[in-house]
Amino acid sequence: MAELIVMPKLGLTMTEGTISNWRKAEGDTVAQGEILFDVETDKISNEVEAKLSGVLRKIIVEEGTVDIFRPVAVIGDANEDISALLGGGVPAVVPAPEQAGTPAEAGAAAAAAGEAAVPADGGRIIASPYAKKTAALLSVDLRQVRGSGPQGRITAGDVRDAEGGSGAVAKVKISPAAAIEAAALGIDPSGLHKEGRIMKEDIRSFAAASSKTAVQPAVQAAVQEITRVPMNSMRRIIAKRMLESQAVSPAVTYNMRLDTTALGVLRQQLKDTLKVTYTDLLVSIAAKALLEFPLLNCSIEGTEFVMRNYANIGVAVGLEEGLIVPVVKNASHKGLAEISQEVKRLAAGARNNSLTSEELTGGTFTITNLGMYGMESFSPIINQPEVAILGVNAIVDTPVAVNGEIVIRPLMNLSLTADHRAVDGAVAAQFMQKIKAYAEKPALLLL
Amino acid sequence: MRKMTYGEGIREGMRSKMLEDPNVVLLGEDVGPYGGTFGVTKGLWEQFGEERVRDTPISEGIIVGASVGAAATGLRPVAELMFIDFLTFGMDGLVNQAAKMRYMFGGKISVPLVLRLPAGGGISAGAQHSGSLEAWVTHVPGLKVVYPSNAQDAWGMMLTAIEDDNPVVYIESKILYSKKYEVDDTVAAIPFGVASVKREGSDVSIITYGKQVEDALTAAKVLAEEGIEAEVIDLRSLYPLDKETIFTSVAKTHRALVVTEEVKRGGFGGELSAMISELCFDELDAPVVRIGALNTPVPYSPALEAYVLPNTEDIIQGIKSMF
Amino acid sequence: MRITKELLSGMYRKMLSIRKFEKTASTFFAEGKIPGFVHLYIGEEAIAVGACANLRDDDYITSTHRGHGHIVAKGGNLKYMMAELFGKETGYCKGKGGSMHIADAELGILGANGIVGAGHLIATGAAWSASYRGSDQVSVCFFGDASTNQSTFHEAMNLASLWKLPVIFVCENNLYGISVSQARHQTIKDIAKRGEGYCMPSLTADGNDVITVYEHVQEAVQRARNGEGPTLLEFKTYRQHGHFEGDPGAYRPKEEVEAWLQKDPIPRFEKYLMENKLMTADELKQIGTEVDGEIQEALDFAFASGYPALEASVQGIYSDIVEEARSR
Repeated sequence: MAELIVMPKLGLTMTEGTISNWRKAEGDTVAQGEILFDVETDKISNEVEAKLSGVLRKIIVEEGTVDIFRPVAVIGDANEDISALLGGGVPAVVPAPEQAGTPAEAGAAAAAAGEAAVPADGGRIIASPYAKKTAALLSVDLRQVRGSGPQGRITAGDVRDAEGGSGAVAKVKISPAAAIEAAALGIDPSGLHKEGRIMKEDIRSFAAASSKTAVQPAVQAAVQEITRVPMNSMRRIIAKRMLESQAVSPAVTYNMRLDTTALGVLRQQLKDTLKVTYTDLLVSIAAKALLEFPLLNCSIEGTEFVMRNYANIGVAVGLEEGLIVPVVKNASHKGLAEISQEVKRLAAGARNNSLTSEELTGGTFTITNLGMYGMESFSPIINQPEVAILGVNAIVDTPVAVNGEIVIRPLMNLSLTADHRAVDGAVAAQFMQKIKAYAEKPALLLL
Repeated sequence: MRKMTYGEGIREGMRSKMLEDPNVVLLGEDVGPYGGTFGVTKGLWEQFGEERVRDTPISEGIIVGASVGAAATGLRPVAELMFIDFLTFGMDGLVNQAAKMRYMFGGKISVPLVLRLPAGGGISAGAQHSGSLEAWVTHVPGLKVVYPSNAQDAWGMMLTAIEDDNPVVYIESKILYSKKYEVDDTVAAIPFGVASVKREGSDVSIITYGKQVEDALTAAKVLAEEGIEAEVIDLRSLYPLDKETIFTSVAKTHRALVVTEEVKRGGFGGELSAMISELCFDELDAPVVRIGALNTPVPYSPALEAYVLPNTEDIIQGIKSMF
Repeated sequence: MRITKELLSGMYRKMLSIRKFEKTASTFFAEGKIPGFVHLYIGEEAIAVGACANLRDDDYITSTHRGHGHIVAKGGNLKYMMAELFGKETGYCKGKGGSMHIADAELGILGANGIVGAGHLIATGAAWSASYRGSDQVSVCFFGDASTNQSTFHEAMNLASLWKLPVIFVCENNLYGISVSQARHQTIKDIAKRGEGYCMPSLTADGNDVITVYEHVQEAVQRARNGEGPTLLEFKTYRQHGHFEGDPGAYRPKEEVEAWLQKDPIPRFEKYLMENKLMTADELKQIGTEVDGEIQEALDFAFASGYPALEASVQGIYSDIVEEARSR
């Protein structure tokens, strides 16, 4: 019995996945448990196993982004009739950007496919009832018609145009008055590129502009070039999340300098037993401080704060493709050794793409380190739904006055961004003071 | 042809039926020597006398209720409530008595009464004197509801209303009372349930009645300059409703806009819109657009009132949104 | 004695018809054979009968939710009434009205009414109509004590008085508005007092004595026919059952109920007839037997009748429009 293979949900927040590679080709025999295809999701790649044995009869989605639970393939017996499975609904597929070829080609492809008519939200064609009736009468395939109505709705006129023209001519959205004006001025309105409907004024200004450009010298355009590079899925997710975070959180960044001398000594003392990084130390310190300042460790749901008696600390890891934040779970209740080992393991996992979605979720606070790039201050963006993020900067040997003498001390700037909905300035400052106290007098951590 | 105001059209309709049938009587607040708050009954008291044109106390319950009793026992009363808003006090007589009597009494009693209800805003009359409450009455089985938009229709429909053996709610647009119209020398009864196509057009059907007919025609003129030809349908009679004319028009234009002066929420415009969507679904090339007043009481201050009530520009914008 | 024996026996027959009709309705309602709810007139028979004995067929009455008694008294057909209670197509309203909505235009019955106070306005309108047409018809408005708190009562009293209309307002003060006693719904004890406010002749009298009712209404009807205007008559009475069948009436003191049962208008009238040698026990018994037969006949008629066709539900709303039926 043939079955549809769907895009699996690989994490709590996953809504769509991008198929990057099929490990099997149509016609191949697959065994249950064999890797079938690769999916890029929330910043990690996953391998999807075949859930049953059989022949990979049909790959519905070769590459590209698919909503979860949408069919991507059919596995069945070699000679089984699978048309019923294929007939059931058009899968929601957006062509993978990587595959879209040059921008010009992509644009043409989208226009030909009728991008407005087959939107990403589930393949539903938006056409007026009368357009559908007209399409049925004229035997026009609505998938081949570009909608010109409000929200890209296909109107009966679009259907007739499609039927009368070369099949898939994109109709220009134009007001009746503008069409009259265009005809009078001898302008082809399809030469105007406008979001929304072309109005009479647009035709007039286009006419005026055209007459100007005619007398202007041609611009030397050969050396300048613009290309468009589509975002990969990780970038798109990052872009979306960063924007969402900015929209959600009224964020304030607080900077405080601290002396890392004591931390340096600590590292030296531990060196032979355990090699710890400043990040490890700061994770440990922050985790302890967060239990004392639970508001920085909360998240906001509606009009409630979700408070915790533990701290899960995300540690941002920069990769070539983007940023990824594995989480040290329960850092507040782990020793430095355990934290250090876990940070190392997670960072390695991030680099070789072997993290599970569980290891990438559940954080309550994030630490991000740009110190290795010599950064002395920055304003990190909160990793939602957390309310604060700690930016770690470079350690810089700095002359400071100690007991009236100028001495050189390794100072580091910490940059905390906090959501003002939960964290007032004074609370943020006290939290930073606490971090500073622990960093400068690590003995306090023993208490 | 002659010129006549909307109010005069209503009066002439009443006058000619009173001349014909002695059982036609008028009653209401100040309808007698005073001639009616809006002057609609002017001269009728002088012509027909105290017994046939009766001033009542300010007592809407008895105006409607006594009309019911009189109509059930042989008279053809034409009752005026000064403002449609005052119907609240006369509601039981209309809704629980007049509308239901024929049905619940198994056809044993007829209630041939006409209830005149001046409606609509635009004159800074404030929240209790500016209502457009046609949905209250179109909702009630047993009532007929008409809403003329000009003097000729006002006259012709009054003849039909008085002749009708059922309770008829005759809604009048206050703002049109003193507006002049061309009227034929003799006016025949205009049957209920027959809409009037005031302007033919190919691109969109505007379905309306009362004062908004005028607004729709103005909007249609503006739109024509932009290349959109609107058909304007004056329903005239809200129940019985001329579905045929509406459907024929929508099947031609494939777009429909419904404009009424009522508060949009729960209005008769919603009923029209739903009916078109339900029964003309496959003919529609755009969703039916509904234009109405904002969901507020009608405010007093002229600028606020103008803002709340629908106008020509709203119709124009509503139609443009469909293309 | 000004009242003829024929009239007395006619009134007795009507009172008995009402009582037996109501007892029958009570029985069948309790058995679930009569749907909806019924408000019975048991105990108040003297008022409807005493009042209607003064009326012609072309005089008008408006009735209330407790209307069976008025309709029987005005000459209503028991068969059609019974069939209506059972929801049959042969009923007065073709099964569309029910207990609270029986009307008969030919008998001037402008309808029982489910809306408390609605009849005041309609009766006044009918009186206006009679007066306008120059007829000497009168209009009798039956209503309960509690309805005199509705605006309709006051609007009607005012207009009737102002226009000198031939309407007789007959208040059946049974001391309760559903469960609320008169003392809890108005400050006056005698509703007749409200007539003064409208310059209307008015009086309060014993509503369980059919002769008393008859005589007072007779006077009021004469005044009305002579164009002397309206009258307000208040008759004190008591309903023996609950507000509607199924209401145990627990809000009424036992002693009060007992005391009023002693004043039951029917035994009282029988006693009066026999003591004054106006009718014999045999004659009364004979009438009882005949009424039993009529009730049985009405029941047989109702049982033998069919239910209305479903299409009937969309017919008869207008004189000229049939509504859409369900498409299924």
